[in-house]
Amino acid sequence: MNTSDRAKETPSGKQSPPREIARRLISSRSERKAGETPARGTAAACDTLYRELSRWVGPDGCHALFTRALADTRTEYPALAQIQLRARSEPYIDGVAETIMAHGDPATAEALESVLVRLVELLGRLIGDDMAVKLIERSLASSERGDAPPDDRREEA
Amino acid sequence: MKEERAVIRSLPSGVPGLDVVLGGGLPEYSFNLIAGGPGSGKTTLAHQIMFTNATVERPALYFTVLGEPTIKMLRYQRQFTFFNPDLAGSAIQFINLSAEVMDQDLGEVLKRIISEIERAKPGIVVVDSFRSIGGQHGSSERGATFDLDRFVQRLALHLTTWEVTSFLLGEYSEQEQRNPVFTVADGILWLSQATDRNSVVRRLQVIKTRGRAQMPGLHTIRITNAGLQIYPRIPEQTRKRALPKRERLSTGVPGMDEMLGGGVIAGDAVMLTGPAGSGKSTVATQFMVAGLAKGETGVIAVFEEYPEEYVARADARNSEVGRMIKAGKLEVIYLRPLDLSVDETLQAILEAVERVGAKRVVIDSLSGFEVALAPTFRADFRESLYRLVGALTASGVTVFTTAEVSEAFSEARFTTEKVSFITDEIIIQRYVEMEGELKRVMAVIKMRGSDHSHEFRLYDVSAKGVVVGDSLTEYDGIITGVPTLRAKPTRIKRST
Repeated sequence: MNTSDRAKETPSGKQSPPREIARRLISSRSERKAGETPARGTAAACDTLYRELSRWVGPDGCHALFTRALADTRTEYPALAQIQLRARSEPYIDGVAETIMAHGDPATAEALESVLVRLVELLGRLIGDDMAVKLIERSLASSERGDAPPDDRREEA
Repeated sequence: MKEERAVIRSLPSGVPGLDVVLGGGLPEYSFNLIAGGPGSGKTTLAHQIMFTNATVERPALYFTVLGEPTIKMLRYQRQFTFFNPDLAGSAIQFINLSAEVMDQDLGEVLKRIISEIERAKPGIVVVDSFRSIGGQHGSSERGATFDLDRFVQRLALHLTTWEVTSFLLGEYSEQEQRNPVFTVADGILWLSQATDRNSVVRRLQVIKTRGRAQMPGLHTIRITNAGLQIYPRIPEQTRKRALPKRERLSTGVPGMDEMLGGGVIAGDAVMLTGPAGSGKSTVATQFMVAGLAKGETGVIAVFEEYPEEYVARADARNSEVGRMIKAGKLEVIYLRPLDLSVDETLQAILEAVERVGAKRVVIDSLSGFEVALAPTFRADFRESLYRLVGALTASGVTVFTTAEVSEAFSEARFTTEKVSFITDEIIIQRYVEMEGELKRVMAVIKMRGSDHSHEFRLYDVSAKGVVVGDSLTEYDGIITGVPTLRAKPTRIKRST
C-alpha cells in the first residue's frame, strides 16, 4: 500500500487495498442514504471519515491529512479545483455542488474517491498500513452504527 | 470481630523492574501522575502499561490533548516491540481532546472524558499531556486555579468510581509540586533526565504510592526498542550473609592456594590487584577454570575487552573455557558500553548468575567497570560497589575481582584505596627488580578470619597460566621494588 494507487485496479484485476477501503467507506454511506448521487455520497464519506478520524488524531491532525491528500490529487484531477476543506465544520468538504455543476457527478465522484485513496495511502505511510486500516475500519464501524449526524447539511446543487 | 480489609489488587506495569520498585505493581483503580521533562519516557511508559493491561472487554483509552500530535505519537510508538497494532482500535483507543481544551472549557473536557468512559468502560485511562489542560487553566488568577482544583478532584472521583486505573502525563518541574494534581494523585512517578559532561542518564523516582511500600531512591531507566526498563537501585543488604562451612575453593594457581591457607573462602569477595601486565586476568580465569573442573558453574563479567578476544585468550591457555561456555556452564558477559549504571551492571550479572546457577563470579576489572559507568555514577562508585558485592555474596556466590593499580616502581600500592574495604581477601601483585631482571611477586595482605602466608613469592606467567614460585625470604626491601639479598653471616676461618 506504500505505492501510489493511481491505477484503480492492480494488474491482477483486484482493487488495491486503499481503493478497496475508500469504496467501502463510500458504499456504506450510500446504502444508508438511498438516492444520493455518487458524488454527494463520496463527499459525505469524506465528511464522515474526517469526523470519525478526528476523534483519534484530532481535528487538526485529520485536516492536515486531508489537505495533503487533496493537494496531491488535484494535480491529477482538475475537477477538484473548487473543492475546499472547512476544518471543524459540517460538512467538511465544501464546493461539491459547484464541482458537480462544472464537471458532472461521475467526474466529481471519481476525483473525491481518489482523495480518499490518497489519504489512506498517506496514513499508511505514516503509521503503518495495518494501523491505518484499523483506524479507518473503526471509523467505518462508527459510521455504520449511525453515530453520524442525522441530516446531511450539504446544500443541494 | 474478624478484620476484613479491602484488597487492592496490583496490575503489572509491563515495564521490567518497575513492579519491584512500586512494591508489587500498580494499585488497581489508582489515580497516578507520570511527571518529568521532555524526552524522559513518559509517553512510552504509559503505552507499555496500556499494552500490558488492555483487553477488548476492558480497553485502555488514551486521551491526547495538546502537545505531540497523535499521528506522530503512533508513528514513533509503534517502533517499540511491545506495540501490538492488533490492539489499536479495539483494546486500545486513542481519543483526541484538543478541540475541548482549545475552547478552554474544563467542564467540556471533563464531560467528554466521562462520556467516553461511559461508552468504552475502560480499565485504563491515560491523559497525555495533562499539563496542556493545566497549562491552559493554571494561571495565577484565583478563579482559574480554583477551576483546575475542582476539575482534578472531579476527574479523580469519576475515574475511581468507574473502576479505572488512570495516568495523567505532564511536564512538571520540581518547583511545581504544589499543583493540585500532586495532592490528589495516589501515585506519582517522576522521570528525569540528567546530563553530566557528555553522558545522559535517565532515572525514575516513585515519589508517592498510597498503600504501598515502594523502593526509595533514584532508579536507572534504559530505553531500548523494547521500551523502558527500570533497574531498581540495589537495596542495601539487610539479610545476614549465610556463613557456610568456610569451605576452601582452589584458585587453580599452583602455590597460591598454599599462600591462602588452603584456597579462597567460599562466599568471600576476593580482590587481586596489580599493575598492567601482571597477570590479573590470567589468575581470574584460572580461578574460574578450577571451579569448572569441580563441576561448578560461573560467570565472568568483562569490561576491558570484547568477550571473543577474552575467551580466545583464555581458551588458548585452557581449552576447558570454550567447552564450558558451549556446555552452558560458563557465561562471559560483556559490559563495555559506556554510561552504565551500577544497577544495570548488577542486574546483568545477577541474571547471568541465575541463568547458569553460578557459584563463582569474576569481575574483570573494577577499573574497567568504573570507566564504563556514566560520570554521574562514578561519584557513588564505592557505595554502589559495596551494594553490588553485598548482593552477590549474600546469595552465596564467591566474587573474584581484579583491579589495576598504577604504581611508581619504587612504591608499592596495595590496593585501589577506594574499594579495598569491600573485600574479604586481598592479594597483591607487583614488579621488582632482581639481578638485573624485572620479576613478578605476589603476597596475600588480607584474609578475614583466616591465617595466611605473609611471604612475598615470585611467580611466572607462562603459556599455561600463572605458577607461583619460591618465597623471597632471603631478600629485604621487596616493598621498595629493589630487593637486596641479605648478607649471609660469614665464618671467619681462624688459622691455627
